[in-house]
Order: sequence, then structure tokens, then C-alpha cells
Amino acid sequence: MGINRLFVANRGEIALRILRTAKKLGLETVLAVSDADRDSLPAQMADRAVCLGPAQATKSYLDIGLVLHAAKATGCDALHPGYGFLSERPELSRRCEAEGIIFVGPRAGSIKALGDKLSAIALARAAGVPTVPGTDHIATVAHAQAAAKEIGYPVVIKASAGGGGKGMFRANSPADLAARFDSASREALAAFGDGRLYLERFVEAARHVEVQVVGDGEGAVIHFGDRDCSVQRRYQKLIEEGPVTAMPAALQERLRAAAVQLTSFAKYRNAGTVEFLYDVTRQEFYFIEVNSRIQVEHPVSEEITGQDLIALQLSVAAGQGIGVTQEQVRVSGHALEVRINAEDPMQGFQPRPGRVTGWAPPAGPGIRIDSHIRAGDLIPPFYDSMVGKLIVHGSDRSAAIEGMLRAIRDFRIEGPKTTLALAAHVIGHPDFADNRFTTRWLEDKALPAYLKE
Amino acid sequence: MKPADIEALVDLFGKSGWDELHIEIDGEELFLSRDSRARGAGAGAVPGTAAPMAAAPAAAAVAVAPPAAPPAAAAAAPAARPAHWVAIKAANLGTYYRAASPEAPPYVTLGARVSAESEVCMIEVMKLFTTIRAGIAGTVREICVSDGQMVEFGQDLIWIEPA
Repeated sequence: MGINRLFVANRGEIALRILRTAKKLGLETVLAVSDADRDSLPAQMADRAVCLGPAQATKSYLDIGLVLHAAKATGCDALHPGYGFLSERPELSRRCEAEGIIFVGPRAGSIKALGDKLSAIALARAAGVPTVPGTDHIATVAHAQAAAKEIGYPVVIKASAGGGGKGMFRANSPADLAARFDSASREALAAFGDGRLYLERFVEAARHVEVQVVGDGEGAVIHFGDRDCSVQRRYQKLIEEGPVTAMPAALQERLRAAAVQLTSFAKYRNAGTVEFLYDVTRQEFYFIEVNSRIQVEHPVSEEITGQDLIALQLSVAAGQGIGVTQEQVRVSGHALEVRINAEDPMQGFQPRPGRVTGWAPPAGPGIRIDSHIRAGDLIPPFYDSMVGKLIVHGSDRSAAIEGMLRAIRDFRIEGPKTTLALAAHVIGHPDFADNRFTTRWLEDKALPAYLKE
Repeated sequence: MKPADIEALVDLFGKSGWDELHIEIDGEELFLSRDSRARGAGAGAVPGTAAPMAAAPAAAAVAVAPPAAPPAAAAAAPAARPAHWVAIKAANLGTYYRAASPEAPPYVTLGARVSAESEVCMIEVMKLFTTIRAGIAGTVREICVSDGQMVEFGQDLIWIEPA
């Protein structure tokens, strides 16, 4: 079962990225575009571009019927969904299979099982992968104190029925629990009509770490090292790097093994990312979720391993296996990725669509640009504001940092405001150089300081 | 006309053996000529007004253009159509059907009179069929696509001469 003609159901830099590998492999390509993207670089690079509908994503990129119809009518035998849009919709995977089109992604059942947080956590527990230690419902202060003693302070009490901070509090001691348990329960009852509470370990200093894997769908999984994406704002990653360097080596080995264990247990097919919370204080990691698609930050893993993850996705989707062994995948050097968003950090990160009047990216050894933008292009206001990614590989972390700062200095973008200057500020920050930051660092420290300057 | 459309047309003109090209779309005019002195005579002749008839003489001189680029707007432009004709365009990608079923007669044929409510064709998306209405009263002057053909968003399906 080979692939001859690939349908690319996405836009922007990831569409271009997929087209590049497809061309390299000698596949014919058809790209779905909306009316706003008819003249885009990916549309010119594909063998054929077909216009699904108007600019609004719901009437074009997000319409499963249109996407499938276009793939069938253009004679494609495989469909790559990229990231975002329809990439993690079980229905697309299922319907592709029903139509005899190879879906370059997981089976519908895996997307469902991994996409739902609770079922993913249940799967992780069944696979023996650590999750945030916590309890089921707890009825009394005494129960809470007993559980907290086992789990270790600090802990956080949460309402079973909902979020938004209602019924939630942090406890550093048995006395804290005694003081606030009953009032939290009453607050939860008032807010949700359900006063039940549960308890979880509170992670004071967390880093977001993740493992890149590729599975063949039969239980064979190999990893491509790990990444650290702790520089975040409102859960949006701004800077990603790999491999993880803020963790003891033995623990890092266990992290990678846990990711392989979980996805192998799930007989996962496709490239995927297993995300973990790393508790810096306790030096423990907990499973959070699996992203069952190619991710924005996949170039980090490609740069440190020399592998083409899109090619591997196509290979496993076509039933041709992963094609490389774990021994052949060697992590070397360090890579950083900066997301360049057309947003104004000074104005609350408001999107700044518009005409890119000048675009001169840096070039040189170790520098990679994944972007669909050319000088003169219009950034349409209908989609996300990412205009590209700058990836730099160096012999080690400090070499990569140095290279990245140089590359950002040499990057000339005229027209819309972007997040590039903020990225330079973050990467040039002493805390970043010292690898001393958590998932709260950007919002609590680096960003306020930057905005004051 | 988008800059890319104009670019495509200039390109097409450059590769053609034509001396002049005069196009009018939605009140916007494009006049291309190999003769630098022709400037005043062409576009200047209809200053400011979107006179529908102005396109006709020029269009007559232009041979049927081979549609070079896939974008429907650029490819469809050079055809010799009076400016007051109105195109029924595809609202999304799909498969065009001229009749409700293979046995049924076509919804419309050339020269048919239609009202705004008249059904003119059907577009299928994954077995979901949507009947398309004329949206304007008039006469069917051109049917641009063949039965069972995939059409893209914005593609011209049928041209109506308004009543």
C-alpha cells in the first residue's frame, strides 16, 4: 500500500513543510485552499491547489465534507491534516478509512482515547506511566489529611464538579486543610450544586517537557528525543528547545521510556507527542496528555536527530513501518525554535494581520526557517497569526542560544509587528541562559520586565 | 481584479500574439496594448464610467483565450461576454450536476428563461446535494461546466443575461 498522490488539508507553514517532503519523496500533491490562500506560496508549490470555499475556516478548512470531497475528486490516495484544523478529529480519520484514503494520522479510536483527558490519564495509569498523584472524592478533613500525608505537601484541593477556582485552595499543612476544607466544599456546592472535593499534589515549580515519538500502529514505537517548552504565555508555547537539559540524565531516560511505553501500549500509529509536567522540586514527572498529530515544534526534534518526521508519518500511515531503529536515532547537539507571530506584545498580543512589506530571513549553517511568507504577502486575518518559525541548531545549548540571537538580529521583517523582539529578549535573558525558569516565568517575570522597558 | 489576476493577464498577454487586450470585470477595466500611443484611445475613452458596452468592441477583437491558470477568476475573464451578464458561481467546492438524476432532464439549457427562484443545477459534497437557484431573472446564455465535473469555490457555473 503506497501513496501516489497526497492531499494536504492545511495552510501556512505546515502545508509548505508537508509539500516539501512529499516532493522529495516524489509524490504528487494537491493542496486544499480557502479563497484567502489562493495565491499563497504553498498553493504555488503544490502540483494542484483546489479552492474549497470562502476565507472563513468553518466554510473551508474545517469542513470535513468539503475536504474529503476534494481529496476524492482529485484522485488522492492519502490525506495529511497537518496540525490544528481537522488534525485531531476522529471523524476525519474514520471517514478517510471508509473512503479508502490513507489518513496520515492515528486511527479514529486512538484519537478518541487519547484526545479525552480523563481517558488518556486512565490509559497512562494502565500503561504504568506516572500521573499527578491525587485522590478520588474525599469526604472529610481527616480523609484529606491522611491523603495529603501520603502524597506530600503542598497539595491543592479542587471541586469535582468544575473549575474556575471555585472550591479550590492550596494547602501547605494539615492545619491549612482543617481551616479551609468545609468552606471550600460549601463554595463548590454553591457554585456547582455539588460540594464534593478531591485532592492533588501541587506542583510549585513546573516545566513542560515532552517526548517526540513515532509509532507504527502495531505496538512498535521509537522516540526522537525530548523537548522543553516551558516558555509559555497562557498555555501558548513561544519558545521550544531540545533535548531537555533541566533534568538528571537517568530521569530523562525514564521520561523517554514512559512515552514509548504509553504509546506502544495504545498501539499508536503516527508521529505524536507525549507531554509531561516536570516537578523541578521533587524531580518527578507526570503525564499530561498526548498530541496525536505532528506539532508546531517538530523541527526541534528533526534538527537534533537529522530525521524527517513528515516522511516517517507518511511511511507508518502507508503501513510501511517506521523504517529506522531506536539505535539509529541519535540525539546530537541542541536546537531552539522561536515562533514568529504577527502579534503586538505591547498591546496584549493582539493579532496584527496585514501586508508584509519586507521579509529577509537569516541564512547560514544551523539556521532553518519554516515559513510560507514572502515579501509582499498578505497575512489574512482569518487564521492564527503565526508567520513562521526560526530554528537554530548548535553543538550545545549555549551555542544554539548564541546562534539564535545572531539569527534574530539578522532577521528583517517589515510591515506587521511580530513577537521576534520579545523572543530575543527572552533568549538573551540570564535566567534563560542559566536554564532557571518554569512555566510561570514568562508571564510572572520576563514579560512584565520586557513590557516595562 | 486582484494584483495576481492582473499579473496573470499581463503574462498571458505577453505570451500571446495579440496587439491589445481590453477587459472589464465588475466595473474595473484593464487595457493592455503593445502600442504605447494606444493608451489614450483605450482606457481613456471611457473615463470613470463603467459603461457596459465599452467592452464589446475590444472583446470582439480578442480570440478565445486559452485558460492558462487554474484560478477561475483569471481564466474566465477573457471570454467575450457582455458586461451586464451575471455569473452564477459555486458557493463551495463540489461536483456539478446539470440534472436532478441521470434520467431527469437538465434543470436548464441554453436560452432557457429563468426566474430568481428557478433551480439551475445541483452541487454535491460527499453525497449531500444542494440545489442551486438562479438568484436573478433572465436568460441562460452560457453553461461553463460539464455534468459531473468538480468545481471549486467561486468558479463560474452559468451565465445569465438579466431580463
